[in-house]
Amino acid sequence: MMKIEAIIQPSRFESVKDALREIGIEGMTVTEVRGHGRQKGHTEVYRGREYTVDLLPKLKLEMVLPDPLVQRAVDTILKTAKTGKIGDGKIFLSRVEEAIRIRNEERGENAL
Amino acid sequence: MQGSLTPLSVLGPQAEDERRRIRQQFEAGGSAQDALQALCALADKTAQQIFGEVLRVHNTEPQGLSLVALGGYGRRLLFPYSDLDILFLFGNEKAEAEFRPLIADFSRTLWDLGFRVSSAGRTLEECKRIEEDNAEFHLALLDRRFLAGDEELFDRLTKKILAGPEKQARPFLLAELTKLTKERHARYGNTIYHLEPNVKDAPGGLRDYQAAAWLKQIANGQRDTLRNSVGEEELAANAVDFLSAIRCFLHYSNSRNDNTLTYELQTAAAERSLGMTGVARGAKRSPEEWMRLYFRQARILNRLLLRYIEQKPAVQPSLRERLFNVARGARSEADKGKPFAVRDGLLEVVHEPALSDRQVTFALFAEAARTGVPLSREAERAIFYILKHPELPQKNTQINWSTLREILAADYPSMALRPMQRLSLLMDVLPEFKAIDSLVVRDFYHRYTVDEHSLRTIEHLQDLAEPPDERAAHFRQLWKTVDRRDLLILALLLHDVGKGMAVENHVTGSLEALESAAARLRLSEYEIGEVHFLIEHHLDMSETMQRRDIFDPATVSIFADTVTTQERLQRLCLMTYADIHAVNPEALTPWKAEMLWQLFVATSNHFSRTLDRDRLHVSDEVPLLEEVSSHAGGANKAEVERFLEGFPRRYRAVHSAPEIAAHFQLYRKLGAEPVQTELKARHHSFSLTLLTADRPALFATISGVLAGWGMNIVKADAFANAAGVVLDTFQFVDLHHTLELNPSEIARFQKSLADIVNGKAPLDPLLKSRENASKAKPPKVAVETRVGYDDTSSAQSTLLEIMAQDRPGLLYDIGSALARLGCNIDVALIDTEGQKAIDVFYLTERGKKLSQQKQELLREVLQSTLS
Repeated sequence: MMKIEAIIQPSRFESVKDALREIGIEGMTVTEVRGHGRQKGHTEVYRGREYTVDLLPKLKLEMVLPDPLVQRAVDTILKTAKTGKIGDGKIFLSRVEEAIRIRNEERGENAL
Repeated sequence: MQGSLTPLSVLGPQAEDERRRIRQQFEAGGSAQDALQALCALADKTAQQIFGEVLRVHNTEPQGLSLVALGGYGRRLLFPYSDLDILFLFGNEKAEAEFRPLIADFSRTLWDLGFRVSSAGRTLEECKRIEEDNAEFHLALLDRRFLAGDEELFDRLTKKILAGPEKQARPFLLAELTKLTKERHARYGNTIYHLEPNVKDAPGGLRDYQAAAWLKQIANGQRDTLRNSVGEEELAANAVDFLSAIRCFLHYSNSRNDNTLTYELQTAAAERSLGMTGVARGAKRSPEEWMRLYFRQARILNRLLLRYIEQKPAVQPSLRERLFNVARGARSEADKGKPFAVRDGLLEVVHEPALSDRQVTFALFAEAARTGVPLSREAERAIFYILKHPELPQKNTQINWSTLREILAADYPSMALRPMQRLSLLMDVLPEFKAIDSLVVRDFYHRYTVDEHSLRTIEHLQDLAEPPDERAAHFRQLWKTVDRRDLLILALLLHDVGKGMAVENHVTGSLEALESAAARLRLSEYEIGEVHFLIEHHLDMSETMQRRDIFDPATVSIFADTVTTQERLQRLCLMTYADIHAVNPEALTPWKAEMLWQLFVATSNHFSRTLDRDRLHVSDEVPLLEEVSSHAGGANKAEVERFLEGFPRRYRAVHSAPEIAAHFQLYRKLGAEPVQTELKARHHSFSLTLLTADRPALFATISGVLAGWGMNIVKADAFANAAGVVLDTFQFVDLHHTLELNPSEIARFQKSLADIVNGKAPLDPLLKSRENASKAKPPKVAVETRVGYDDTSSAQSTLLEIMAQDRPGLLYDIGSALARLGCNIDVALIDTEGQKAIDVFYLTERGKKLSQQKQELLREVLQSTLS
């Protein structure tokens, strides 16, 4: 099992979610986050006040998948979240040792 | 010990059989009250039997121990899975120690038989002391009922021990019960209108009825206001029956003490006409219709309780205000002309018969909306009484738009709209709202009924006066300065009305509702257009910020094209803020609030920086041409075309066709008289439109005349068409009420303006006389002067952005400086925010952008002039 964490542009979320659903991935956790990598923020002025946007709004998707699905999911996210501009986000992969469904205590991939 | 307890194998099935019988009887249509009493009788019988047996087994007598039923069980109303609240009352500490093992056996046996015992143990002495951190126990004790054991001990408790302390603790218990009730209501967002309500604890639930009963019992007839009419008592009893049936049904359906009326159980309850009796039981109702019946009953119980617990004003009055309120209240009472007064921070009706005039009732609502002082529950009750007795003579029952506007445009509109909704008067005024009255629309995000959601949007805006948290801070200024707040509030009332109509897309339905409301209230074409825009696009801003890249200028540009004007943007942004916020308390995350603000700022800046990019080309605007021509009495289209060609698109966006036609009529008179003006009185201000051929220092001259007459400019637009005709609009405040108090001065003012612009009269003497007359007051808030340039946004002009301390004559000073340095104003956008002037000028010098040297020179001049 692998955990995929994808930081994406909020505007790409609907497309990414739909594309993942098409390959059979419906379960995910979505968090509203702020941050920046190489894409730095900018400053807007409104009515004499400066608003510095140094942390940009992003969405973080998290999902734990059985190994055979991981590559397809990564490809799907890459394809649908990409606009080609700085700030498209990143994908992180990490190995997961165990998963347990709280309701019935099923373990491993059955719990996903 | 002697012998042993009757085995569970015998008692268990007996209790189970009885429980099954009670359930079957209820499910076959028996009343909830019968079921609750039967369950209570079963619990009593079992508890008494077990108690008798444990006494026997422990070989003891019950002297010094009394079993007392408390809370709902004490009231003989035991729901299927409710706890059995039992107090073990001991004569003294010795008895307590002796009976401990017996009590353990007793409780365990009852548990094993399926009764959830929730017990407490106290000696008589302990019952004397009021435990300040355990008001719930003392409240439950109010419902005490002897169950088994030493009856004399129970009598002593009631007659000797508690009589004194309960009387002394009256204020404490009243205060605690009020506090607990408010905390409970706050946990449920202070509303009965939940999509999946908790029928016990939510406002309007059974707990409200019980709290009202306790309040009455504690007050013990001390307050006259706690008396209800026979009709009110009957309504309350019916509501309790209805809700009891639901709670009983929920317990059976969930097989536990779960009182949430979920969507699934709403459907099941509607199918079996739960809570209905007689003929009504036979009628089939949709879950939505059945839920409306639920809310109607919940409203009765909630109103009953809230009459006892008065709400606090929106703004907590200071000591000074409270003293003033007392003085004002006394004056109002003395003044027979005014039938209401403020007492203890609440609006009271002093002369109830006056309410038969609906104008008085609406004046009362308008007062609440203006001041933020809520109506007292007694005032509502008086209005309710008149409404429910149509045989009483009533007059002025129709509300007109100007009265409604007064309420909607006020600082606290919800202070009027809430009681209007509770009294069904809101639906009299806006019958369209009936479609969403108590309407449950099932979805995963919304927490409240559609009408509740709509009213909450308005409350969230009202709260912006004192921003409750970080999320709201940005939007505060928008709320304070928004133009035509009444139109925004009307749009919020109607934006989801379509959800209660048989239409595919609720926006279409809401627009239909607007059409009928607008015709009835006789809204102007402009007003209809603005509300229509807000309803039609109420989801656009939220969709754009969540589904588009708001940092992409193309996204902002497309969005700005839809919105068209700064004024609309401001209203739409506030509407979006409120609409998301009212979905549920967590919906407007700081993240979303920030995104919304960023989109607002980017679009606002887009408007002020791209003003000269989009110009009107009449060949693309044939419908506009037709419309203006028709409003101008069939004017020559070629002539209209010459007038319109080349104005910035904002001109079209901020003026309706009839207004443009009126401008065109002025334009036609330019041949006879080269300066044409039109002056209109608005709410607290005047609006001046001036047309003339472009000439040097024109803007400075007009600003100078206005300053000379003591007028403070708060907003201005300066536009020019392709033929060099300038159309300036100034909104100004008549600081000294010169025009307001002396109507004859209006003509003199217009003549003076035309003469000075035409060069027939000098400006200086007028300015000098004003300088002598006015003494500058020190500003309340110091604003630092900022001068900025933007050379990239416009292809032809340099944008000058000025932020400065607002003061009379400021624009004249800026305009004169620009004229002296040979700068031509192509477009100007003037605005104020409190004491801050925010001005944007599109400048050219001999048709080109300003050079760097000129920009620096101008900056120096402006800094020294304005600082």
